[in-house]
Amino acid sequence: MLIDMHMHPIFYGDICENEDEVNFRGDTFGVWKQGPMTDEELFAEWKICDLTKAALLPLDVTTAEGGWIVNNDQVEKLCSVHPEKFIGFASVDPNRKDALDVLEKAFKEQGLMGLKLNPAKQKFDPNAECMEAIYEICEKENKPIIFHAGLSWEPNTPTEFCHPCVFEKAIMNHPNLRICLAHFAWPWVREMVMLMIKYPNVYTDTALLYVDSPEEQMMELFTKDMGPMWFERCFPEQVMFASNGPRFRMFKIKRALDKVPMRDFARENLYYKNALRFLYGKEVKEW
Amino acid sequence: MVVVETIKHLSESVSEFYNITEQVHNIVKNSGVTNGFVLVLTAHTTTGIMVNEALPCVEKDLDEMLEKMVPVDSPFVHAHFLPSYGATSNNSQGHLKSALTGNHCMFPVMDGKIVCGGAQDIYLVEFDGPQARKIFVEVMGE
Repeated sequence: MLIDMHMHPIFYGDICENEDEVNFRGDTFGVWKQGPMTDEELFAEWKICDLTKAALLPLDVTTAEGGWIVNNDQVEKLCSVHPEKFIGFASVDPNRKDALDVLEKAFKEQGLMGLKLNPAKQKFDPNAECMEAIYEICEKENKPIIFHAGLSWEPNTPTEFCHPCVFEKAIMNHPNLRICLAHFAWPWVREMVMLMIKYPNVYTDTALLYVDSPEEQMMELFTKDMGPMWFERCFPEQVMFASNGPRFRMFKIKRALDKVPMRDFARENLYYKNALRFLYGKEVKEW
Repeated sequence: MVVVETIKHLSESVSEFYNITEQVHNIVKNSGVTNGFVLVLTAHTTTGIMVNEALPCVEKDLDEMLEKMVPVDSPFVHAHFLPSYGATSNNSQGHLKSALTGNHCMFPVMDGKIVCGGAQDIYLVEFDGPQARKIFVEVMGE
């Protein structure tokens, strides 16, 4: 089994009826020279790396940018078409007045499995008072949060809200809330490592290809940016496979990770078991 | 007279030999052109157009030769963030293989048919699949 915990369904054909909206998504997310793709194209790529499931991440940038980079209804729609393949996440702009209503609806009515937020893009402080109610809903509903962390190629994303240590107070105050600081918070890999060692409720993912080839980047991450044994010794249950499609092609990230030496238990954790723990908060034997 | 048709193909693996010989011959046959040329051109820079004999053993040898000439783990320069794409380039192997194979082929057309050797099959060769691909076939003549 292989689960990709970080996909942006910006160009998925079933939600690309409106050309202006697709252009808004591309410009706001900062990805170009790609266009709507059919399910056939999408799943051809899944097939060559045996991808089983993928988490689809929307982003609500209503107050900052005037729209959504894929909205919760669209994620719900995609999941209804392929419930066996897609894990739908919600998003909400913490600065909107009806933020809590949007979130409650996403979890209780739309069946979405977690929350995606990007403080730099959405222009909020993860330690702000308005965030407490959002964290409480996530805890109450047993839903994890994925925060963007580290370098962002999305336009208009000041890096001050991308540093992993920005999230530490929220992590400390909510030990029962599962939080993923995505992209290994690159280039702050060691700070990310520090947080995972200190806090078992903190996760990260492998959605990074910021320098070099996939093979070089993954080998550097697991053997140089970190000591070669750190993952399996120190936080084997806190790193998840992820690609950040459509920025990076998932089968190339997988191909690169297959070449990184690690024990079988650690590889299984990386490829799917940690994702299941993150999503459900407990060991899941079958899905 | 000029007739242009497009062949579409979804490749299903990273590297793939897709035989388009019959499709190209049919386009020529239906074009109405009796004497002239046919041009076969890929729309992409990580695919090739190749003319060779459609035998699995020949395909395997060609594939292995190209892989030896351009290993995937070479220290390519084209492996960095591309602002115009918003993505990281990681397909230099495909670009280089495409450069080696070429992106087109051309045949004479006489009496409404392609003039070619019996072993001359035409391939779209995928070097960065899976992807949706297009090939332009232009028949020119009278």
